[in-house]
Amino acid sequence: MTNQTTINLEINGQAHTLVVEPRVTLLDALRDHLELTGTKKGCDQGQCGACTVHVDGERVLSCLTLAVQVEGRAVTTIEGLSDPGAELHPVQSAFLEHDAFQCGYCTPGQIMSAVSCIREGHAGSDDEIREYMSGNLCRCGAYPHIVEAVREAAKVMS
Amino acid sequence: MTIVDTKIKHGDASDGLLGGRLARIDGPAKITGAADYAMEHSPEGMVYAVIIDSTIASGRVVAIDTSAAEAYPGVLLVLTPDNALPIKTATDWTGAPPPEVPYEPLAREITFAGQHIAAVIAETFEQATAAAALVKVTYEESAPISSFDDPRSGEAFPIDMMTKEWGDADAALAIAPVRIEQEYKTPREYNVPIEPHGLIAHWEGDMLTLWEPSQWIDGMSRTYAEWFSIPFENVRMLSPYIGGGFGSKALPTRYGAVAAIAAKMLDRPVKLAITRPQTFTAFGGRPATRQTIALGATREGKLLSIVHRSANETSMDDVAIEPLGSVTSIMYAVPNFSSRQNIVPVNTVKPGALRAPGENPSAFGIECAIDELAYEVGIDPLDIRLLNYAEEDPHAKKPWSTRRLREAYAAGAEAFGWAKRSPSVRSMREGKQLIGYGVAAGTYPVRRTPGEAMVRILSNGTIEVASSGIDMGQGTYTILAQTAAEAIGVPVETVVVKLGDSSLPRAPVAGGSQLANLMTGAVHVAALAARDELIGLAINDQNSPFRDLQANTLTIEGGQMSSPRDAGSSVAIAEVMRRTGRDRIEALRNTLPENLRNKDDHFRNFTTISTMLSPTEGDYSMHSWCVHFVEVRVDVDFGTVRVSRMVSALDSGRLYNPKLAESQWKGGIIMGIGQALLEEGLVDQRNGHVMNNNLGDYLVPTNADIPDLKVISVGIPDTNASILGGKAVGELAIVGVAPAIANAVYHATGIRVRDLPITLEKLI
Repeated sequence: MTNQTTINLEINGQAHTLVVEPRVTLLDALRDHLELTGTKKGCDQGQCGACTVHVDGERVLSCLTLAVQVEGRAVTTIEGLSDPGAELHPVQSAFLEHDAFQCGYCTPGQIMSAVSCIREGHAGSDDEIREYMSGNLCRCGAYPHIVEAVREAAKVMS
Repeated sequence: MTIVDTKIKHGDASDGLLGGRLARIDGPAKITGAADYAMEHSPEGMVYAVIIDSTIASGRVVAIDTSAAEAYPGVLLVLTPDNALPIKTATDWTGAPPPEVPYEPLAREITFAGQHIAAVIAETFEQATAAAALVKVTYEESAPISSFDDPRSGEAFPIDMMTKEWGDADAALAIAPVRIEQEYKTPREYNVPIEPHGLIAHWEGDMLTLWEPSQWIDGMSRTYAEWFSIPFENVRMLSPYIGGGFGSKALPTRYGAVAAIAAKMLDRPVKLAITRPQTFTAFGGRPATRQTIALGATREGKLLSIVHRSANETSMDDVAIEPLGSVTSIMYAVPNFSSRQNIVPVNTVKPGALRAPGENPSAFGIECAIDELAYEVGIDPLDIRLLNYAEEDPHAKKPWSTRRLREAYAAGAEAFGWAKRSPSVRSMREGKQLIGYGVAAGTYPVRRTPGEAMVRILSNGTIEVASSGIDMGQGTYTILAQTAAEAIGVPVETVVVKLGDSSLPRAPVAGGSQLANLMTGAVHVAALAARDELIGLAINDQNSPFRDLQANTLTIEGGQMSSPRDAGSSVAIAEVMRRTGRDRIEALRNTLPENLRNKDDHFRNFTTISTMLSPTEGDYSMHSWCVHFVEVRVDVDFGTVRVSRMVSALDSGRLYNPKLAESQWKGGIIMGIGQALLEEGLVDQRNGHVMNNNLGDYLVPTNADIPDLKVISVGIPDTNASILGGKAVGELAIVGVAPAIANAVYHATGIRVRDLPITLEKLI
């Protein structure tokens, strides 16, 4: 299978045209073709959440999404959450303040999920945050600090 | 010239000094996606490799049909043992000289399922993946020995160097008024860093550049150099960020050799990322272990004898030892002791290091056994630990450098509310939930290897710290900035730390929880040397603003230099550098003893573990200590266990940055909760496959599994243990978590689970 297809993607508000095979995932399109490596590959089979991005405002696993599926839809990655040099998104600030990460590899996915968790209205209690952040694995074990960060960011965002 | 001592402040504010709760300085890069992990580079012309693994666990490869794969679009090479560029065997991590045989990273003889046998390299990742599925392998299969539970696993090999004995343990046990004996087991457990393993290998002539996540840049670089018979200096390894390692990214791997061979043969940069399922067999996690522990005691619970027999799995072709007597031999005062260990070869990948190798399963055995003894003699599990408290190292017969375990018991019990525990099992309940309290202690040794660091003072006043040492989340970047800032007397914001690059000064392995202590020590020494030179320059240079003061010393605070005799004389470092015309001051220092400062020993120190000191070398026995108090809730109908509350008190000596140390402690505790309740490599006894080789089936803790955790530091600076007073942090906190939970489950239910993990079918 070598047939290439041209796809037009809107990522972080910018238009990109890519010529790739239709089997290329959104994750690999971002990392290997667009040099947007902030989105992480942890398992490539939808189990860890490291590749979480927003598609039309909803959190999505980019490793289980083909790039061709998101044509005409707005994709936001960690690089687009706050403008370079501009103020950090409240979730990013809270992650830094509460030391909600160690190695940092699951972090972009955690942050993208956390933004959604708050937007979805699922940050009402610590238990609710834990439940709605459980699709994102963190092997360093930053969970208690992630809960603190989401709780604090939710206050700022409300 | 006399130098005024650097002012040492131990604030708990985020003031940038050592001991302050500074947020991690590499944090902004990590939360914006800007941090460039090793695998995120794209050198011109890069191609992709996919590894093919054996589907049998024992036998040999008879034939590999590569024709369909080679015909697939985009395929550049199908690598097999028959066409792979030959390379040499390298010195191993202990420094043992290599045998004069070729190193073959692709196997013909198969000793475990998942062994690498071929690789496909193609223009794109998708093409390589698809073509790999077209490679047809014919095997001659023999029956594997899948685990040490297989009756055919046969004779275990005794490892004599693990034997520890004093007194007459058997005789004392035989006449002890109280005797208990049980077997404790832990399954195969896996590191599971969220960043999967892999590398990008790029040759330019006989120079090899490797972007590879590494806990040990210098050790791994040496291996690549020896494999390809090139000078060590020709290998450049870059690993500025590592997406978790937990022991699994310290040593070179077979797939690493495959990628470098393929890159050499194709003269193209090759990226090879192993798949998540391959992370269960491309390198080993913690081996399965079993321990039999017999305790002899008085009726009051005073220990008279410990007899400990243990074994761990190893691979068919190599020796892996998980030191199972490491905690058993030092936790309690006991007059008679015997510990012996065997290894059992089975058809598995060679087991590797996973957070607190040895101490972790060792503590599961002895800390459950002492709990069983407490119930047997009818005293409180905390009291029995105090009754048998070891005032000195019972094995080495040396005083502890520091052992704040008694303080940890007191602080932890108080914060947890241990006094509210009802002594009988199954006596605390809320509705359908049985509640149990459990306690267990842990320990991890202080390992010591000399370090090295470069500290530069640049013309603009910036301080640069450089080392090939790494930061995989421990906080190395941050604490080294704090160390340099404090030693020189500058704001921490002016310090730039460069790590994870083999072109920088040498560093030993980031393992054994040693890196923070040895690197802060080396940076401290180098920073003071740079500061001395700066002060000398400012006093003596004819263009210095301080020249006319005739001062014999100067102070530096907040990046400003001044004379102690003239408070108004303050001048910024950058201004002193400008006036004296210096573009930099640099100090490269190591903490090697005099007799190891020659070129060969210097190289050996950083590329092998042969100079690492044992925790009992010298006048003291040096260890970190901890205790965990756990509340569990067990559903009376379904047997599901939840950790509902936990308090841990820990002695890691002086903390260089409590905010980051607490994160590491909590991370260890969470991994311990996973070990206790979830984690288990399931081996198919018929064919030796790890059945649950993915993150949906090998369960690690999720956010919802973890309650709020309280950690309390009870450490004091221990300058016997390290230059600046710290002891082990990263590996300490997991030790003792699993037995504390098992003990709490027993208290809740009256059911003693001695084989991890504690899953519901064992409770109903």
